[in-house]
Amino acid sequence: MTNEQNQPPDLMVFLASSVHDMKNSVSVLSAHLEKLLAENTPDTFPGYAQTAQMLYEVKRVNCNLIQLLTLYKVGEQHYPFDPREHSIDEFVREVLMQSRALFDSLKIEIITEYPEDLTWYFDEDLVNGVVNHALNNASLYTKGKIKLIIRKIDKLLEIRVEDNGKGYPPAMLAQGASLARGVSFATGSTGLGLYFSAVVASMHKNRGRTGGMALENGGTWNGGCFVMRLP
Amino acid sequence: MATNAPSPWAEKSYLIIDDFPSMRQMLRDMLRSINAKKVEQASNGAEAIDILKKSKFDVVLCDFNMGVGRSGQQVLEEAKINDYVSPACIWFMVTSEKSAEFVMGAAEHQPDDYLLKPLTESFLINRLNRAWGRKQIFKHIDIAYAARDYLKAIKLCDEYIAKEPIHTTELLRMKARLLLKCGETAQARSIFEKILEDRDVVWAMTGLAKIHIEDGEYESAQAMLENVIKENPYCIEAYDLLALAIQKQNKLEEAEKILIDVAKLSPNSAIRQKNLGEIAMKLGNTETAEKAFRKCITVGEHSVSKTPDAYFGLARICGAKKNDKEALQVLTAVQKMFNNDTVKLRAKITEGLAYHESGQWVKARQSADALGQMLHSTKDRPDAQICLDMAELLFATGNKEAPIELLQDVVKNNNENLSLLADVQRIFDKAHLNEKGAEMVESWCNEAQDTMNKGVLLWKEGKLAEAVEWMRNAKQSLPSNARILLNFTHVLIDYIQKNGIDPVLLEEARSVLLQAENLNHDKKRFAQLMGSLEALRSSVAEA
Repeated sequence: MTNEQNQPPDLMVFLASSVHDMKNSVSVLSAHLEKLLAENTPDTFPGYAQTAQMLYEVKRVNCNLIQLLTLYKVGEQHYPFDPREHSIDEFVREVLMQSRALFDSLKIEIITEYPEDLTWYFDEDLVNGVVNHALNNASLYTKGKIKLIIRKIDKLLEIRVEDNGKGYPPAMLAQGASLARGVSFATGSTGLGLYFSAVVASMHKNRGRTGGMALENGGTWNGGCFVMRLP
Repeated sequence: MATNAPSPWAEKSYLIIDDFPSMRQMLRDMLRSINAKKVEQASNGAEAIDILKKSKFDVVLCDFNMGVGRSGQQVLEEAKINDYVSPACIWFMVTSEKSAEFVMGAAEHQPDDYLLKPLTESFLINRLNRAWGRKQIFKHIDIAYAARDYLKAIKLCDEYIAKEPIHTTELLRMKARLLLKCGETAQARSIFEKILEDRDVVWAMTGLAKIHIEDGEYESAQAMLENVIKENPYCIEAYDLLALAIQKQNKLEEAEKILIDVAKLSPNSAIRQKNLGEIAMKLGNTETAEKAFRKCITVGEHSVSKTPDAYFGLARICGAKKNDKEALQVLTAVQKMFNNDTVKLRAKITEGLAYHESGQWVKARQSADALGQMLHSTKDRPDAQICLDMAELLFATGNKEAPIELLQDVVKNNNENLSLLADVQRIFDKAHLNEKGAEMVESWCNEAQDTMNKGVLLWKEGKLAEAVEWMRNAKQSLPSNARILLNFTHVLIDYIQKNGIDPVLLEEARSVLLQAENLNHDKKRFAQLMGSLEALRSSVAEA
């Protein structure tokens, strides 16, 4: 008994539970902002642009918290990894539903390309987190158009998020490349989203093949492309 | 935007089950904003069950972790088992965290989806649309499944695979499950193997392992399942099957280790605690067994599928620890909880065994005598294994008539089960009735066979009405003889087909056949008979 009382509390446990708590609060905030934007237009509501900006920031924080929490659980081997077959159509619908408010308010056009009859095996929560992050990120770099392409290439599922901006800066491409070679903290950067994506990709395995991710410049509009491939 | 669009969800009826008033309020507001008018609420499982008994809902939103009373999963099980919800009802579990318990086959009754909190309106609608799409296909299959018309359900799977190829894998999974229910192992196997050509899909691997276990290939099943668990440490079904495969090889200590692991992964499953308790008791690990039985009783308290087994196990443990007083208390408790003749018989036999094991011969004798009396006053019998225990105790305490009557019942109802007949002979041997016992067993088997043959003869001679009457009497005296039950159903169906629909006979045939299913005898024949029976029943419905 006394022994237990003298021990310092496990900070990681506090961190994890607070992150969980914060995530819930931020999600509520995000839902309110979405509603506010949906019920108004830039003409009727003078604060529309700022609210849209707030929504972007809040979504960023929410994404980060979810990623932190998931990475913590994966590290502790508590994450119930659940790869099952999903309809790509259903997957895309949900992703679009989550990002619609942000894209509408920022006047970003989102184009999707995928075969409607395609299904694939993956952990939906994890891959949803990755794609959401990529879309959120693209909304920062784009000049008004984002394309989400999902297709089957060489027995892999390829998910591409392309924008019509100037492309990723060289430092970010380098970071993506180092993560693509293997998950490590070698870069010492705070690129949580990229690290998360790399971890998620590497958790997906099939018949000796492992998932991967890459950052490229090019694609439809010669802009930035986020690419994830799952076996 | 979604708020103003006309949504089919406005017309549906909803039940919200959550112990937090603020959460209920939030969900209700959300449903209100999609213009849903029919919304009811329950603040705990008991209240929810009361409401579900009275009205049908299109959608149930149920909190997964409720503070007291039934858990969300237990409410779901109770509602499904008692048909309080139809197969068309969409059941969502609302939870704050993705947990191991809802990944991969932890429970037989699964909700349609798990929704992670906090919910948004558009997310809820999106998931409702998804679930609704699936329901349009699976509700018809689920209805046939619930009616045990597995052949029809298989036919539906094939039809939907052709119509809705996007759901192919899920339909194949269902089809394989149905094929196993019909004893069509080879066909199920080829589905699993086809799925596994491209990918190590967990349900196909566990399905294949299940077939290996049924075929007695325990070692290969074990290897397959260990492989599944290595890659999928949360696949609870694989642990269950692995423990079974190991137990079948008589490696009880290894099996116990697996059961301890799975009980840790799925601590709120009464059945897994029970399994652990029973194996630990066999191994003499009193402490593990006691803990498991106690936990089983606690977690099963609010479960519709709770069984008395853990109480009897615990009473045996108390007896072994010379704690007669608690053993008796436990036996009183179980009879209060499950008020039926079988449980009373089992309580008496457990009491006798406890006294017998602790060397209190006089008290054991008294229990045995009381048991003998009880056997005369009720026709209900527990399952064969417990009857054998009773016979053994009765012999051991000097009673001669009651155990022979019990064994007669067991033999006549199981005249084709060779390993059980061997167990009966062993009991006779122990009671120094070797030859006499063998003679009796043989003549009982012959009697059962003669009863059957006479019925079949009448049937073949076309004396259908007499055959029905004969089989009905045979069923009276041999209520758990699977072959008699199956033949009786068959004769009844034949009779109905020739003499026209009679709802009373149809109902009789169905109830006889359902009793046969629980005995797990001849799955192919069960499925065929059920198919014919359901065809007759639906012709009544159409007429």
